[in-house]
Amino acid sequence: MANTAEQETQATLDESATPILELADATIKFGGLTAVDSVSFTLNKGDLFGLIGPNGAGKTTVFNIITGVYKPTSGDILFNGRNIAGLKPEKVAQLGICRTFQNIRLFGSLSVLENVVVGGFLRKKTGLFSALALLPPAVNETTELRKKAMDLLEVMDLADVAQSRAADLPYGKQRRLEIARAMATGPDLILLDEPAAGMNPQEKEALATTVRRIRDDFDKTVLLIEHDMRFVMNLCERIVVLDHGVEISAGTPDIVRNDPKVIEAYLGEESE
Amino acid sequence: MNPAVEIQKPSLLKFWGSRVISAIAAIAFCAGIQSLGGPLADNEFLYRIIVLSGLYVTLAVSLNLINGITGQFSIGHAAFYQVGAYTAGYLTVRMFSTQQIGEVPWLILMCLVGAAAAAITGLIVGLPSLRLKGDYLAIVTLGFGEIIRIIAINIDEVGGAYGLSIVPKIQSPWLIWALAILCIAVCRNLLKTAHGLPFLAVREDEVASSAMGVSTTKIKVTAFVIGSSFAGAAGALLAHYEAFITPDMFKMEVSFIVLTMVVIGGTGSITGSTVAALALFLLPEWLRGLKEANGDALVVSAPQLLGATLAIIAYIALARRVRDHYHGKPIQKAGFQFGVAAASLVLFFLFKAVFAQIGGLAGHEGWEINSLRMAIFAAVLIVIMLLRPQGVFGHHEFSWAWLKSLFVKKKQEAS
Amino acid sequence: MIDLVTSGALAGLSLDPSTLPQQLVNGLLIGAIYALIALGYTMVYGVLRLINFAHGEVFMLGAYAALFVSYGFGYTADAGDIAGGTWTLLAIMLLVSMISCAIVGAVIEFFAYRPMRNQTRIAALITAIGVSLLIQYGGQLFLPAQPPPSISEKVLPADIRGSYDFNLISPDPQLESDLAAAKTAADAADSELEKMLTDTGQREFDLEPEHPLRAAKFETIGEVRSLSAEIENSSVSVTVPRGQAVMFGTVVLLMTLLWWLVMHTRTGRAMRAASHDFDSASLMGINVNRVVTITFIIGSALAGAGAMMNATFLRTPLTPFFGFMPGVKAFVAAVLGGIGNIPGAVLGGFVMGLAETLVVWAGYGQYKDAVAFVILIVILLFRPGGLLGSSKVEKV
Ligand SMILES: Nc1ncnc2c1ncn2[C@@H]1O[C@H](COP(=O)(O)OP(=O)(O)OP(=O)(O)O)[C@@H](O)[C@H]1O
Ligand SMILES: [Mg+2]
Repeated sequence: MANTAEQETQATLDESATPILELADATIKFGGLTAVDSVSFTLNKGDLFGLIGPNGAGKTTVFNIITGVYKPTSGDILFNGRNIAGLKPEKVAQLGICRTFQNIRLFGSLSVLENVVVGGFLRKKTGLFSALALLPPAVNETTELRKKAMDLLEVMDLADVAQSRAADLPYGKQRRLEIARAMATGPDLILLDEPAAGMNPQEKEALATTVRRIRDDFDKTVLLIEHDMRFVMNLCERIVVLDHGVEISAGTPDIVRNDPKVIEAYLGEESE
Repeated sequence: MNPAVEIQKPSLLKFWGSRVISAIAAIAFCAGIQSLGGPLADNEFLYRIIVLSGLYVTLAVSLNLINGITGQFSIGHAAFYQVGAYTAGYLTVRMFSTQQIGEVPWLILMCLVGAAAAAITGLIVGLPSLRLKGDYLAIVTLGFGEIIRIIAINIDEVGGAYGLSIVPKIQSPWLIWALAILCIAVCRNLLKTAHGLPFLAVREDEVASSAMGVSTTKIKVTAFVIGSSFAGAAGALLAHYEAFITPDMFKMEVSFIVLTMVVIGGTGSITGSTVAALALFLLPEWLRGLKEANGDALVVSAPQLLGATLAIIAYIALARRVRDHYHGKPIQKAGFQFGVAAASLVLFFLFKAVFAQIGGLAGHEGWEINSLRMAIFAAVLIVIMLLRPQGVFGHHEFSWAWLKSLFVKKKQEAS
Repeated sequence: MIDLVTSGALAGLSLDPSTLPQQLVNGLLIGAIYALIALGYTMVYGVLRLINFAHGEVFMLGAYAALFVSYGFGYTADAGDIAGGTWTLLAIMLLVSMISCAIVGAVIEFFAYRPMRNQTRIAALITAIGVSLLIQYGGQLFLPAQPPPSISEKVLPADIRGSYDFNLISPDPQLESDLAAAKTAADAADSELEKMLTDTGQREFDLEPEHPLRAAKFETIGEVRSLSAEIENSSVSVTVPRGQAVMFGTVVLLMTLLWWLVMHTRTGRAMRAASHDFDSASLMGINVNRVVTITFIIGSALAGAGAMMNATFLRTPLTPFFGFMPGVKAFVAAVLGGIGNIPGAVLGGFVMGLAETLVVWAGYGQYKDAVAFVILIVILLFRPGGLLGSSKVEKV
């Protein structure tokens, strides 16, 4: 843990980084409302990237157009050089982008373990017939998927509740389970929508550690939305700020923190 | 609270051993059903309903796959049943005599044909489910069912409204139950492997499923196709067992009965669907049988009916209060529920006596229990929804471990 | 109309322009009833997001209420000579229907739907299906249905017996006189044949088909048929029974009343608020339980009015399943117009009525009931928001 600061600087200074996700003038309109307006930014492999902005700024909508929930009205979204704008969500997930949801969307009446297995199922190899006839390939694969899921639960510190119903978990654990489930799909890029919302300071601290581990130990690229400024500023190496769908600032936490436009956007919101 | 689970590969011996045992048990069961015809020769009616209950098990379990497991609220299952019955029946009428194959192989072939025809229908009905959810899908499936029935009424080739008589009559009790067991096994296998999870995931949350890489389209259509093909095969067997089918045998009523079975059993629970199918099919038929056996109809009088209605209302009100406002140990809660049930029973006799005293009502000669059947179904459906919306079995399944735990606990309590 | 039904049984397309205007009018008349029922679906769905499956059954009970009132005033099926009804009787029947439906609707809401409000929508829908089945099959036990009774024609006061006839295009007078002549000839041929039969003690089907008298009879009858067909094809007329005209007027009046209530009263505003956002409305201090009850009362009362008029003026025979098809069609009408949208329900009702009669007109009368489902499926697949509604995307 002591070397995280070192790694941070290393990552930001790494000039030879390869882009993994690139938004180019991504725009989406809902009727008359332009929820995301020509937003462009680039994530490099191994980034720990923050997306912030006041309520209703369009952050979640950015996630939605990246993951195929909505098709952008215009603009491109390049993932590993391939334009993924308008692909179906399942296709995006198969390509290697997975996400969590701001308003937790677990499979409530499934067990914690099963939730994670659903994530891992994406990489399945056996066919449906094998399962319906209960042939050994499907049975073995099931065992393997469950094992892998169990390992992930250990990492996310959820192993002790593996058999509980997901809906019965306390809030903080549900959020961690969402991350575990997303990790199970084996993504290259993971999008976290307000992962710390509703957590107490200790839980937040543990979460920050986990997110760093995801990046460092599992080699994922992380893009996260968060309202807790301290959390974001401590965790993320680069940040983009949205307001009313428009990108108003971008850069390192220090640059963003001192950008008058950002301060105004947040203050303006408070005075409203 | 729960210990971390150890996940192990099942040992080969255990895996194949249990499968061989299950297969033997299934064969023995089917053989048992078949040979039951001997001892029950003088009670044809009883034998008949035992055999036909197998069809309802198939229908309920296959609808449960669509409805309970995948969460696609389809309420037109009779349509698939009908498509299977008509396709297979028509082919038999047309082609059987020119075939050189035995009756049972032909029947199996017809099951496959009926299943295929129903699967195609299921595919067509499944397609709207890609764009529709919940209540809209329900209405559309209901509508499809009606359209198919109206079409059958208007095709003279298959007998129109009068129906189609199928020669030869091929009655194969063991095959009917083999289909039911196959249907249960397929659904159970699906849920035993990871392949079943995407189906459950689609039921729980479609948006999250697709974000996890589940193709919701594929899953929903698969569920519709598998579920409807079993109903189609059941239809084929029905057609040949009865040797006469009419569009009226596939009315919306049938769909509602099957739906009731699934809902009461517990949406998603194969065990629940099976048990509910047996109970809800056998009970009314048995009551109807009483009449035929004794030559005497089982009659419910007006005071009894009114008394029962009021007692049920009282029961719902009381049981809800206990459920919502009394927080105690499960055993105490169960005790309270039991008390409420007993109290309602007392109320029933009280109401009945009161209504019997009111002139006029007592004079009514009452209704045959069978004419009450659908009304009772409906009442049970409402009671279950109000008191236990997840159904009797909830999402739970029968398992040996569960059975064992029941006995072990009992022993501990006894000692 | 009878002609169309029989030709429908031949399952062939027959587009006869001369009967189209009559069918369009029939479509509007039945559509008015669908619209009235559809309003109940749409209002309840707007507020609770629940398909009130039992709405059709409430409608059925309303029709029986009207029937019982008419019985109470002595207009039973076997009543002998009885004077025509009065406007007061009709008004009482309408009111009793509306009030009993309102009560039934409110009771169903309170006992069956209110406890389900926190459950999943599917659980609520299953409950609604259960209530609907219970009323249908419970009704089978208690309601007179064998043979299906219908409200006596005699309840209509004298001044709305008969019908308004509109001749859009009159038949050629030449054809009419030809027809009269042909009819006389046919009668003559027939009586000649009859006479011969009685004289010889034979029966008609014992005769050879080529028997001259028999051939003559068929020829003259053929002549009459072809002339009548020609007259029918060359003339266009529309007949509206006066009662049905009154019905249409009442429907329009009720709809106007509803519109005023929804747009210009406090209750209406509360209803609109609740249907816009149920939870916020309750947070803003609106008594949503009261709003829901009122919605059910109004919706059910409209269904009651529709039921009374359907049973009285269209004289449909009543069974406990009488509400099912109108219920389904009205539901489709509500979806067609955009569920939750009041003008949409009215539009949808008329479209449904027209669609149905057009199918009959085109010679596919046996698919009259299937057409509702076809429309529903098409609309849901291609414009799920309905004609006037807008489809909402689930926010993620
Ligand atoms: N499906 C939709 N239809 C219409 N408008 C939408 C839709 N989804 C989002 N919006 C609108 O787009 C804007 C941005 O919403 P978004 O959820 O992206 O904000 P956010 O930055 O995530 O805010 P928060 O911090 O509150 O989560 C909001 O005004 C929202 O109402
Ligand atoms: Mg958001």
